[in-house]
Amino acid sequence: MNGGKVTLGRTAGLYLGAAVLRLALFVLFPGLPDLLTGRVEISTPVTSFKRLQEGLFLYNHNVSPYDGGVYHQAPLFLPLFSLLPSFSSLPIFTYLLYIVVDLLSADALLKIADSGEAGSSALFTSPRREKRWSGFVIAAVFLFNPFTIATCIGRSTSVFTSCFILYSISNAISGAPFTSMVALSFASYLSMYPLLLLPPLLLLAYDRAPPARQSNLALFATTHVLIITLVSTILLGMSYVLTGCSWEFLASTYGVQLTLSDLTPNVGLWWYFFIEMFDSFRSFFLAVFWLHLSSYVGGLTVRIRRQPLVVITLLLGIFAIFKPYPSISDTSLFLAMVPLYRHVFPLMRYTFLVAAIIVYTTFLGPAFYHLWIYAGSGNANFFYAITLVWGLGQSLLVCDLTFAVLRDELEVERPEMVGKEIRQI
Amino acid sequence: MPRLLSGALRLRRDPRILKLPPYLSLLCILVGVVWLFLLPRDEYSRRTYISENALLPGQVHTYFGGSDQNVFRAYKHEVNALVDKSNIEINDRLESIIKGLGLKVGRQNFTYHSAGQVHSGENVYAILQAPRGDATEAIVLVAAWKNAKEELNRNGVSLILTLARYFKRWSLWSKDIIFLVTPDSIAGPQAWVDAYHDAHDSARVDSLPLKSGLLQGAIAVDYVQEHRFESIHIVYDGVNGQLPNLDLINSVVNIAGGQMGISTTLQEMWRHDDKYPDRLRTMLRGMLKQGLGLASGPHSSFIPYHVDAVTLQPFGEGWQDEMAMGRVVEGTFRSLNNLLEHLHQSFFFYLLMQRERFVSIGTYLPSAMLVAANFTIMAIALWVKSGQPGAEVAEGQEAKPAEKSNLAVERHLFLPLGVVTVCQFLGALPLYLFNHAPESMLTPAFFIFSSLNMALPHLLSHLLTTYYAPSAQQYQLIKSFSLLLLGMFLSSLATLNFSLAFLVGLLASPLTFMQPWPRAPAMRTACTIFLNAVAPTAVLVIGATYWNLSVDTVLREAAFAWDVCGTYTPVVVWCVWWPAWLAGSVTVLGRPDERDIKAKTA
Repeated sequence: MNGGKVTLGRTAGLYLGAAVLRLALFVLFPGLPDLLTGRVEISTPVTSFKRLQEGLFLYNHNVSPYDGGVYHQAPLFLPLFSLLPSFSSLPIFTYLLYIVVDLLSADALLKIADSGEAGSSALFTSPRREKRWSGFVIAAVFLFNPFTIATCIGRSTSVFTSCFILYSISNAISGAPFTSMVALSFASYLSMYPLLLLPPLLLLAYDRAPPARQSNLALFATTHVLIITLVSTILLGMSYVLTGCSWEFLASTYGVQLTLSDLTPNVGLWWYFFIEMFDSFRSFFLAVFWLHLSSYVGGLTVRIRRQPLVVITLLLGIFAIFKPYPSISDTSLFLAMVPLYRHVFPLMRYTFLVAAIIVYTTFLGPAFYHLWIYAGSGNANFFYAITLVWGLGQSLLVCDLTFAVLRDELEVERPEMVGKEIRQI
Repeated sequence: MPRLLSGALRLRRDPRILKLPPYLSLLCILVGVVWLFLLPRDEYSRRTYISENALLPGQVHTYFGGSDQNVFRAYKHEVNALVDKSNIEINDRLESIIKGLGLKVGRQNFTYHSAGQVHSGENVYAILQAPRGDATEAIVLVAAWKNAKEELNRNGVSLILTLARYFKRWSLWSKDIIFLVTPDSIAGPQAWVDAYHDAHDSARVDSLPLKSGLLQGAIAVDYVQEHRFESIHIVYDGVNGQLPNLDLINSVVNIAGGQMGISTTLQEMWRHDDKYPDRLRTMLRGMLKQGLGLASGPHSSFIPYHVDAVTLQPFGEGWQDEMAMGRVVEGTFRSLNNLLEHLHQSFFFYLLMQRERFVSIGTYLPSAMLVAANFTIMAIALWVKSGQPGAEVAEGQEAKPAEKSNLAVERHLFLPLGVVTVCQFLGALPLYLFNHAPESMLTPAFFIFSSLNMALPHLLSHLLTTYYAPSAQQYQLIKSFSLLLLGMFLSSLATLNFSLAFLVGLLASPLTFMQPWPRAPAMRTACTIFLNAVAPTAVLVIGATYWNLSVDTVLREAAFAWDVCGTYTPVVVWCVWWPAWLAGSVTVLGRPDERDIKAKTA
């Protein structure tokens, strides 16, 4: 009881510290939120706070928010943000909302970490699971990660998606598959890509479901897919009603992600390709890029069936690199999940290289963007090259983590391979 | 082939290979420095050339002269009458003169607070609308009432009034011409350009009542001397080391040197014989100016907005008079008039060693990159070394004593990360202190800070050894992370401000070779003294003494540049270089063996 109380006090202190830091940054540097919102690494066309304000203005004046062609986010954000007092007069409430969402995400992460799922899932127990970081440390790493803080101060709306994804995972682990599916449908409603997390999440929920619910997998899967379909339909129906009983919002929200109609530069790979592409090839390449993104789901889920949480982590990393409009928010979510696998860190081979690449590109990217846009002495190629290196760093991390996890599984199956060097034939 | 590969792979594990990186780092630094000294040679530099064909410099016949001489003398008389008047009275009179010419006039107030002093004034400017143009573009002619050396720019102001009257009579202008008279050389133009682009701080700077199109270029005239001149000195350094497009300088050199036979000089090289020593001197002066990143004239504030600008200063004893200067300005404006788009063909990153010799970024960048790379090489080498079993002191249950372990020893990262992070964030303190202290407090604050600076590494090292007892591995990791950050900042900076990155890299290069000396107190003392001699504070004092400036002046100028122009040199010095120096000093004073002794006695 005493230990529990100490931990509770420590966690509360952590949350308070993170909230105070964010509030201090919001209040003491009044120019900082707008500066960060304007940066392409933080705001993308589908998550920008400035575009949200534009949509909000149109919504409050009884015009369809999608008429302006600027707002590409989910309709349900509009009543949510309308409930808050006006941003121009009382910005503090918006700041508090974002801080609360960050803390909720950290809490979900804490639950995921403390459950020990990373070290020992239902079907696999790692021999190294003793070496792990407590939920407190993992939540602290997430909350004080500069990427997370920058996303919060820049008020990108992807924090809501991240929060729902983390809630979905933590509920699946704690044996509440229904809530998990509801959270996932919210996340998919807000941004499309979390739907690709459904297979591993289903497996995770199934593995961790209370024995009463564990019938057979097919039945479990079907019921929960139906739940997601139902909740998504409800959400889409609500959006239909909200936007004046029309389905046009689908083209402006999901359509933009599918057809990449907004080519604002970001830290991803897509915009440069599609700027220079001839129109006749556009649909083909869009299909290829989306197919590429979704192709990893099946392979990873089947191969690492026994550790669905690993699959989710790796997929989050892959999404951060290959989705149409990535930002540092997706990277911060991935980097939040990676420390769960502290026990396989000694098996990873490129940690220093990855850390150095990520740190270098974080500084070179804005420098080259400045040279391109403001100084006019560079061009887009410099910036895109650095975003490619950024993607390379994250890819290395994903591959390294995959290697470490597979090596860990190998050492359980074949104990004679412990300590031996892996050589590729 | 397979045997070669496996042999190479076996070499990977050879501990002797880790002896190589310090020599590699030293080689990088030496090559970087020598590279720079090779640049003034004919084989490595190039002659300048006009890249933008639209400019056609020196091809027009300039008609300024004749009766304009009388007009100039009349305006000079007016300006002389205004010499002792206040800023407002001067502007009132100038406004009435310019309104008499038929141009629209605007005025703008500004107030900057820096280092406890107030720099305030009022700018006055006039817009000549191109009779057959569409007001989408403009070129600016600037004359500051007092130039950068606080001398009265009588002829400059009179000249631009004469030119205003002269330009009004031509109908061939395709762009609007803006004539700007500012009370001083730095704060005034900065306020005006910021307000023109709506990037100003409304609390300090008023908005402009009149505006024209996008600015395509700016020329500032700084004509102080009363007698006839021989040559023109071109000042082209902008804020934060950004330079105007080389074509602008080439055009002015071409126009002045071609028809009019006026030679031009750069970087205050009053005599230049185009041999190696003079070229080197020009290049190094240019690098120093660029590295400091201060505004050097009214043109400097235009350059960050991608408006190419230079300041022209006639100097010397000769027979060229104000009309010649006017013709140079007219010729340059006629060339700028031809432009259809911003100057973009020629180089933005270059080092000029003589008015017709330069090197471009592709040739000089490797030298700063090598200096920055030396830090990265050392950081990687230290990381690998810290993972080897020998470094860990008697704790390694991880290391298998019998066979050579293929896996690295576990690294205790938390303390090194913490130390480096704390050092980085400590840099905010001197930055805040020197930018916000009032002027009277600057020198005492600086000396107090310098003395604290000498004591701080000892204090931090004592704290570390007492409470945390870091091992040799952790000292290696502290150094590795600090050098990694330094290398990263300097390589990113080299793309923005090459000279600053090179200078800071060179001054910080001793940090690559610093290490703890647990058993050699003499070496420890020697290293500490050496590090204190290359600390940012010491370099500031040495620099100030060498150029006969007081520390007070240097700090005041730095605070002014930060407050008014947005120079980021103080950030680089206090938040990149000083934290690395601090981490290096703490490493030098480290005593990793104490932990061994403690473990044995405990």
